[in-house]
Amino acid sequence: MGRSPAFLIFFIALMIGATSVLQGAETVWSGLVIAENVTQPQRVPPELTRIEGSLKKFFGYNQFQVIGQSQKTLKTGQEDWLATSKFFGLHVDARGETEAGYVLNLKLYKEKELLLETDTKLSKRSPLVIKGPQVGGGQLLLVLVVQ
Amino acid sequence: MKTFEEKWTAWVDGQLNGRELSEFEASLPNKAAAEAEKAGALKLGELLKRELSARTLTNEEFFSHQLRENIVRRCDAGAREARSTWWTIPRLLWTGAASLAVFLVFTVVVMHEKNPAEESQYLTQILNARVDPVVSPNASLSIFKVKQDRVTVLWTEGLQSLPADYAAK
Repeated sequence: MGRSPAFLIFFIALMIGATSVLQGAETVWSGLVIAENVTQPQRVPPELTRIEGSLKKFFGYNQFQVIGQSQKTLKTGQEDWLATSKFFGLHVDARGETEAGYVLNLKLYKEKELLLETDTKLSKRSPLVIKGPQVGGGQLLLVLVVQ
Repeated sequence: MKTFEEKWTAWVDGQLNGRELSEFEASLPNKAAAEAEKAGALKLGELLKRELSARTLTNEEFFSHQLRENIVRRCDAGAREARSTWWTIPRLLWTGAASLAVFLVFTVVVMHEKNPAEESQYLTQILNARVDPVVSPNASLSIFKVKQDRVTVLWTEGLQSLPADYAAK
């Protein structure tokens, strides 16, 4: 075998290996976001930049502030974690990985009171936004994004 | 030193002269028979020269026609030989084009059939959702998909409103 084909095969194998390793470890960003209408809105947090347009259009607010967040790198797809603010807690329990994403159980707590529970298949390409309770003049949103 | 045969050939061809000629003729045992043989050989030579000389062509056009036909036959045979390989360049081109066309047709068909499934597969799905009926008895849940950013929205209505203090970090 010549040197070039051997190098090509090695390179492809390396790429496949690297891709599978990268596929096996993805980070899920989960955030508690307060959406409000203010006269001088602050810039959208970087985690929400890719869905900024949809958030503004769909919810009708001009400012989105993160009050609690968590970033979890999933290796087995069985991890669980908590994103908290002073009064709210979002518990995320990963229950397996599929080709398209992760099966998650989400629980939104207000202090110790369970407000909402949902099971979802979070796609790697499709963020999830949950409209929570009204908080003052704004709205609590729960956002999950596979980064 | 020439052999007798060489001298004989030279004598018949008339190439001996002077002393060499007289010595050779003196060495002949029967000069009359030798002279007769020489005359016969010369006659035969003349006959051969006359009969075996190249024939002049009586019809040049016929000859060139034959030549051309021969060339054409050989060219055809050569071309047939060259065509005997199946993978000629035109066939390769046609095969490539046909393969590409089949591939495109299948790609279009498969993509067309697969797209709706892929769309749903790669959008986040809400499997189920519930709110505490005691805390929020009038709550309702809806699911929306925003195609623009592939965002899935779980929309709740009727959850208990909270004071602004709850927006604290």
